[in-house]
Amino acid sequence: MSKIFRYECRRLLWNKFFIGLAVVLLLYGALVLHAVTILGVSHTAPFSPWSFGDYLSRMLPLLWIGMLFFLTFYTSPKARRAAVLMDATPMPPKQYALVRCAAALTGGVLLSLLCMGEAAVFYGRMFGWYGWGSLLLPALATLLPALVFALGSGWLLGQIRPWLVYVWMAVPFLCMALPLPDALGIWNGHFFSKYPLALGTLDPAFSMPAAVLIVQCILLATGIVLLMVRPARSKR
Amino acid sequence: MKTMRLFPLELKRLLQSRLTWLTMALTVLSPVLGLVLYKPATSTTMLSMYLANPAIAGGVAGAILFGLLTIFELDRACRSRVDILTDAVVSPLTTALTRLLALLTAAVLTVGLTMLVWLPISAGLIGSVFTGANYVLAYLLLMGLALPLGVLAAAAAYQFTRRADLSIVLFIAFCALSLTVWASDWQLCWLNPCVWALSDDFSNFRVFRSVAWMRFTWLLTLAGVWTVSYLCIRQYGKGVFGSLARSTRRLYRPVIALALLACSGTAYAAQPFIDRSNPDLTVMSFYEIPYAEGVTFVRRTAQVFPDTDAGTVTGRASYQFQNTSGQEQSVSFGINPGYTISNVKANGADVPFTVSDYQEYNEARLEVTIPAEEEVELTMEYSGFPQESLPTMQGGKELSREYLCLENSALSPRVMNVMPGEAGYPTTIEITLPASMIAIPFSSSEAEVISENEDGTRTWRYEANSAGGILYAGDYICEQIEAGGMTIEFYYGRKHQAVMEAAKAVDAVKEVVDYCTEHYGSLSFGAGETLKLIQSRVAGGGYAVGGASLLDEADFTIANLGNAEKGGGAGEVMIHELVHQWWGLGNMFDTSDSTSPWSAEGLTVYTTYRIVKELYGEDYAREHYIDQWQQTVDDYYLNFYVRNPKYLEMLPEQVQLAISNSLSQVRQYNEMPLKIWKAEQLVGGEEAMDQILHDLFNRELDPMYPYLTYQEFLDACGLTEEDLNLE
Repeated sequence: MSKIFRYECRRLLWNKFFIGLAVVLLLYGALVLHAVTILGVSHTAPFSPWSFGDYLSRMLPLLWIGMLFFLTFYTSPKARRAAVLMDATPMPPKQYALVRCAAALTGGVLLSLLCMGEAAVFYGRMFGWYGWGSLLLPALATLLPALVFALGSGWLLGQIRPWLVYVWMAVPFLCMALPLPDALGIWNGHFFSKYPLALGTLDPAFSMPAAVLIVQCILLATGIVLLMVRPARSKR
Repeated sequence: MKTMRLFPLELKRLLQSRLTWLTMALTVLSPVLGLVLYKPATSTTMLSMYLANPAIAGGVAGAILFGLLTIFELDRACRSRVDILTDAVVSPLTTALTRLLALLTAAVLTVGLTMLVWLPISAGLIGSVFTGANYVLAYLLLMGLALPLGVLAAAAAYQFTRRADLSIVLFIAFCALSLTVWASDWQLCWLNPCVWALSDDFSNFRVFRSVAWMRFTWLLTLAGVWTVSYLCIRQYGKGVFGSLARSTRRLYRPVIALALLACSGTAYAAQPFIDRSNPDLTVMSFYEIPYAEGVTFVRRTAQVFPDTDAGTVTGRASYQFQNTSGQEQSVSFGINPGYTISNVKANGADVPFTVSDYQEYNEARLEVTIPAEEEVELTMEYSGFPQESLPTMQGGKELSREYLCLENSALSPRVMNVMPGEAGYPTTIEITLPASMIAIPFSSSEAEVISENEDGTRTWRYEANSAGGILYAGDYICEQIEAGGMTIEFYYGRKHQAVMEAAKAVDAVKEVVDYCTEHYGSLSFGAGETLKLIQSRVAGGGYAVGGASLLDEADFTIANLGNAEKGGGAGEVMIHELVHQWWGLGNMFDTSDSTSPWSAEGLTVYTTYRIVKELYGEDYAREHYIDQWQQTVDDYYLNFYVRNPKYLEMLPEQVQLAISNSLSQVRQYNEMPLKIWKAEQLVGGEEAMDQILHDLFNRELDPMYPYLTYQEFLDACGLTEEDLNLE
């Protein structure tokens, strides 16, 4: 299986598409860092977990699209035609699907690491600041549930209709336009800009209210569950 | 010939596709985005809101949609796996050219359709200031030319990669670049032109010319890139380089590609609109040029001939100096960077001169060596296209039959290092304008017609006393208003007459002038009995000098004047700018310390609040002024860089400058008015503060330092700096 995983990773990551996506991400990231993050969010430092979280939530739509694009490698009509042959191989379909999802997740994680690396370089160069440990929690809280949920939901939608994956790419943009409840604040960026102000102290340490934490956990769990679901048509 | 024969067939096939009609329908609808979602033109003029924004949004959406359609259409044969067959029948190069022409034709049809559909809607929304010329130019330039650019870019991406998914990513990335990183670079934002405002009352040719230049540059670039990609179209089963080698056998093809790319590079580098002024606005090296020793100014005369069709200026200037040094002297002039200087003569003989490459505040430095004679008459000629400094706020140098504004060195070269003579800097300006235009010097001077010329122009003359000078001219109406014991000459664009009369703007002006005169006293400068109030083309704000004040047309739009929240009167910025006549810009406040919150803005904003309170009530004034100052000041004190200045110092100079400029504005426009309001509470209320301000306004001035300082204000209030601390 590890051989297949390596092959899938190479297929996904060693192509022009991944490089193009990475370039777009880095350019957009630079823009956000220089135009928005540099000012700091909610009176906090540009390198505070809040400002960093705000940066990540602004990058989230592109990471979401990137993740779903990886899935289109497996859900496109071409891939579905090839699936007839793959199904004939002596390999458990569930394990094979899992390996493919792991490869897609690896792609998403690599893109996320690129964004975080860019921020780290920015902080080091601009402020001589290297306390990256404090940024781990907002990164995990913001990105992990989103990426896993994108993977799970995208995988399921792709199995039903390939074009649904493309429609699903618009979700983060829709979230930004909609007045979401506070518990979903990470999805439109309001959590990082509003919650620290509500804490009533200057430069508050990073924390998350239970509602936001629960929603993120639910999204993570939903993503994992959706990975296990196989639509009826696909079973046939 | 084969291309021309295949073109109608391809166009017919394209127009039979449902996807084409969907794309066309969405493009026709897309200007609606500019009304609700995407509003790059930030000004509040009617044409900005209801013409520029819909047209730009339509251009962005249309270019993206047509780009995607292009990729879909180019990929059709490959997707259906019939490319091997079609390539055998028709050369893939011919197919690509035919498809491109068909797609471009569909784009042209769509733009025409969009213009027809949106014509009645735009006319209805814009109202009385709608004109067909603005409508056609806006839709053709802001929207229309974006579509072929999208088609060319997408087609090039596909022809290079021959993969639909990769082409889409590349094309979207190219669009995203324009919408984000390049958005503020007027030459690079190919998709969304840098248009911040369109004027309702005057012409917009300068902005349209600039957008046309950008589109032209990109058309050349993308046509060049497309031609290169055309050479890369895969043939005979070869790869990209094999196909390229084969296609370049016909030499004219790569030559055309290179010529297009070279022309685009030239168009980019030789743009005539924006100068290269130092972006650091704190540097004022032209004010530090040492005065020419023993040289004094006697008189200046200038004859200015604006070409309102071409947007250029030609002029002759003559300067009389007295040179008592007995030596040659170098005299410096500020000139607009777009002008070319020629025929420089001193007492009839040619003299050496240089024009610096360095530019600052929209000026280049012209240095002329004058001879060691006591009386020197220096003459020179200048001509060119006046350039601007702010690429994101273009339009200020509009020059047409409806409007022009020539400021300082754009009017005639400005002397920078010559001491004034006994009479100061006496100046006579003559300007020849179309008969429909009125010349309005931005000072207390009055212009008069000295000749009516056979070509339908009139020559105006006025006297002034300054090294620079600003002249407005346009198709204006002048209202004479008696207020505050003086005559206000209120100039506004003829197109706006009905709106102004309906909004009773004249009454609003009267109210403000009466208020300030009653509370603070009469204006002590200018012509004494007159004040010109000039509505300018949309400029993002106004300014005032002795005897004249500028009002931005954006404050007089139908939407703004009819805003019930503001009490149904004219905009509050109008009040603000009028108040600057009392708390004058530059005249009464020392601006040398840019970090100090004490400036003309503090007292002006405070006075505006007082007038608004009187006009619209205490609740309105508290909500829109005091509460907002308080909120902004609270945010300011909590700002990370205010609390930790060491981190601000670590940033690159440009970033540091941008942040500190923004913080400084907060202090001038919010912190200081709030402090003055606090002082008002401490001195015993509004009446007591009015008396203090009245006394300060009418105090005896020290001619060596005529500025009102913060300490003088504190002393007059009997307070200390600590008393007004807000933290």
